[in-house]
Amino acid sequence: MRTRAFWFMTLAILIIMASGCSSRPDSGSTGSGNTETGSGKIGSGKAKTTLSMMVNISDESLTQAYREIVDGFTKENPDISVNLQFDSTGYENTMKVKMAANDLPDIFDTHGWAKLRYGDYLADLRDEPWASQLTDTIRDVVTDKDGKVYALVLTEAKDGLLYNVDMLEQYGIQVPNTFDELIAAGEKIKKESGGKTNPFYMSGIDDSMIGQYLDNFANPLLITAKNNDADALLNGNFDWTHITPLAQSLVDLQKKGLINEDVLTAKRSDLPAAFAAGKVTFALVGPAFMDSVHAIAPDMKIGIMPVPSMVAGDEPTFAGGERNTLAVWKDTKHLDEAKKLLQYFAKPDNMAKLSNVSKNPPGLKDIKTDHELTPYYEKYANIRVFPYFDRVYLPNGMWDVLCKNGTELLAGRMTPEQFSESMKTEVERLSKK
Amino acid sequence: MKPSVVVTKARPRRTTGMRLAKSPVMLNWMYLPALLLFAVFIYYPFFRGLLISFTDWDGYSQALHYIGIDNYKRMLTDSRVHTVIINTLIYGLGSTLFQNMFGLLYALLLNKHGKAKTFVRVIVYIPAIVSPIIMGYIWYFLLQYNGGAINDIIMAFTGKPVNLLADPKVNVWIIMIVNTYQFLGIAMMIFLSGLQGISKDYYEAAEIDGASPLKRFANITFPLLAPALTTSIILNLIGGLKLFDVIAALTNGGPGYASASLSTMMYQLYFARQDAGLAASLGNLMFLLITVISLTSLYFLRRKELSQ
Amino acid sequence: MKQRKRTVVYTVIGLLVALVHIIPFYILLTVSFKDLRDMSSKWLFPGYGFTGNFISAWQNAHLGRAFLNTGVITVMSVVLILIFGSLAAFPLARYQSRLNKWVYGIFVSALIVPPLTILVPLYKLFVDIGFMNTYFGIVLLHVTFQLSMAIFLYTSFIGTIPRELDEAAMIDGATKTGMFFRIILPLLKPVTATIVIMNANSIWNDYQFSLFFLQKPDSRTITVALSSFFGENSAQIGWIAAGSLMAAIPSILVYILLQKYFVDGIAAGAVKG
Repeated sequence: MRTRAFWFMTLAILIIMASGCSSRPDSGSTGSGNTETGSGKIGSGKAKTTLSMMVNISDESLTQAYREIVDGFTKENPDISVNLQFDSTGYENTMKVKMAANDLPDIFDTHGWAKLRYGDYLADLRDEPWASQLTDTIRDVVTDKDGKVYALVLTEAKDGLLYNVDMLEQYGIQVPNTFDELIAAGEKIKKESGGKTNPFYMSGIDDSMIGQYLDNFANPLLITAKNNDADALLNGNFDWTHITPLAQSLVDLQKKGLINEDVLTAKRSDLPAAFAAGKVTFALVGPAFMDSVHAIAPDMKIGIMPVPSMVAGDEPTFAGGERNTLAVWKDTKHLDEAKKLLQYFAKPDNMAKLSNVSKNPPGLKDIKTDHELTPYYEKYANIRVFPYFDRVYLPNGMWDVLCKNGTELLAGRMTPEQFSESMKTEVERLSKK
Repeated sequence: MKPSVVVTKARPRRTTGMRLAKSPVMLNWMYLPALLLFAVFIYYPFFRGLLISFTDWDGYSQALHYIGIDNYKRMLTDSRVHTVIINTLIYGLGSTLFQNMFGLLYALLLNKHGKAKTFVRVIVYIPAIVSPIIMGYIWYFLLQYNGGAINDIIMAFTGKPVNLLADPKVNVWIIMIVNTYQFLGIAMMIFLSGLQGISKDYYEAAEIDGASPLKRFANITFPLLAPALTTSIILNLIGGLKLFDVIAALTNGGPGYASASLSTMMYQLYFARQDAGLAASLGNLMFLLITVISLTSLYFLRRKELSQ
Repeated sequence: MKQRKRTVVYTVIGLLVALVHIIPFYILLTVSFKDLRDMSSKWLFPGYGFTGNFISAWQNAHLGRAFLNTGVITVMSVVLILIFGSLAAFPLARYQSRLNKWVYGIFVSALIVPPLTILVPLYKLFVDIGFMNTYFGIVLLHVTFQLSMAIFLYTSFIGTIPRELDEAAMIDGATKTGMFFRIILPLLKPVTATIVIMNANSIWNDYQFSLFFLQKPDSRTITVALSSFFGENSAQIGWIAAGSLMAAIPSILVYILLQKYFVDGIAAGAVKG
């Protein structure tokens, strides 16, 4: 009977060995020219070097554009292939685990956090040919005081409110310049549409939409006006009751019935359908969402306006920062190849292509773009752009507090005063580190 | 599973080769491969993870400081954690209760009588096959405010949709029901097989004695199902107390943390709040909670089994 | 007569139960046949025959490849679970020394360990020993994490096998190891079916481990592939629905095939001898 035991263990060992032999799942397939969307390996079978690359997007048209550019690069450099991965829902978590284990892709997207979160893991790119071409608005965002350049900014964020152009025209509304005008416009639309349209849309499940509102309007309330709290915030002697009106404004929007009724349970992914159906007027999201709207309503005109001012005598502003970026892991084994790929991305044609598809302004100077929002960016070219509030004035880790506390406000489980109090304690806790 | 007749104790070590070969201690080689895997892939990382709870780590940087038991202090004084513990108990105990109650009812229904019982069994079991995250989304299609299938029906009567997932007094129970729905098929299967293991002789004897159907159930069926009940309860308890995917898909633990379980809160603290130390202490609390609850129930259930 | 009446009543109630339980799947089915722009009620099938979601889901998620990857991983893991699980359960069920009771506790308590607390240390370990992005690594992970359940069920099942069988074999002069392979192993068929169904199902549906430990695009598993349809700005719900339906088919088939054994297996495992 020893024989049966023998066969039993042999089977186990064979299976372990078999899975060991086939253990590199990418060994067999090296198909190139794969034009479908989604992640995959690009490059010829003879490549000596394989770069790993992770990008924080999932929108079909944009992933397609990335693939085409990478495809062009591997055709020019047959000795390099690229393992290209797209992910948007799990990207941040995956990257955090990878940072903890110090095992990052050769090239990856820093999506707004090049300095604060990824900084310690990134190679210095200051000597790259494109580094001097970074736009005035983005240069400081990805450069530190010692001159280290952290990332190639493919497109930058210039966030205001995306809006339904036809709807404003239909109700005879001028683009609002102040917060009060914005509310008035919203109330008018709500009333005249017979309640069919709730001008603002947010999601308590994907609560970053609520965080986005608070972040975008914190600048006009606290930073952009003449007498502002910027220094107090940086020095740590900010009077946190000053932020209460921001929380109050969100509660007021809800009380006036200007936010979608199901704000606590709606999903961000339901926004395009609601927007396309004319149920929403203003959206506080990046332009990537426009493609999803056009997939349902191809002819709908969407425009962008700057964030209205909240303090008397102030002007509207944009909130800016990184949007799509590429950075290089400092411990990569293929630094030169990675830099080469970034240089390829930085070519004017490719930059323009990404900008046109994503409808965000390019992160390098002198790139000619032509897309749906180009006229709006030109019209508002002189509007000031302020970096995202939380990246400059709040300690790392506060973003989630903003999102969660905002949701608690809308759920009626926190008053605006408690909101400010909670902000204060959390900032103190996180600043201690 | 009662320790029956022979419980062989390990024999004295100094024995001859021949006797050693026959000694049960030698048989322990059979669990060595499994033990090795557990040591490397579960317990080593588990103890490493235990240490994180004594640090202020943010979950991704290389910098971390040991801060003693601060995280545990914060955890125990945090009112949100109290809500989340109560939710977790509702998810764990509530779905265990309902899964076993309905599982038993269905098993009795589908045991002997009726046509199409195999068909019904398969239908009831199928939800357990679907990945929980997908199950969450299916129920989102049913429960959502705009265009949700249940709201279509409510609208037909009242003309106004109801936001079923917004109220924390309601959504916690909805989540519990969804979890019950998904896994009650497993409980049903366990009871079905338990029923089939009961000899007909008992019932015939009872019928001769003139016992009512209810009496027969209480005196024969239920006691003999006790071991099946133990298996089912333990599996359901652990599953319910660790509930994650359905919550993530339906409410993401919201509003705020109102419908969060220990699992989802831990996830959010770890990744979004960048508070890995607190997340780890929450994880240890969860480990402790599940261990205590399942060991206690195991103890009582076993005692009941043995007393039959 | 009474018997027939009872049969009718039971059948009707049974069908009502099935009706209630099928509703979520009915909704999944209607959604899977609808175009993204179709805003009609989820209760209604579209008037047009639309199979585009199935085709798009299959192509865009590279589901063919994903099915293959997931299938290979699942089969390898399950075979190893059965081998290691049945081996481990035998001494634990038959020789309950103090040591073995502890070992049994260690195995079962692994059911309780929250996966997130070990995620980062495990990931570090995988990087250090070079198991990242290997089938080898992910298979061993699945084996380890599913073994608890297998050992739990095998141990209770072996406990129900009468010891008289052991003793008879001993008289014939078999060693204890030999006895396991000759007497016990052939009797384990039913509980093995249970374990195959439950474990194969969890491995087939696994998302977390595959997401973190198999990051090469070519090695994606089904759930990870489907998750790419949940975008930030839009969810392709028709594709998700179609994809999930296709992903469930193998599991349902395996279940129906093994159902007979499955029932026997749990019966014997749950009812003590």
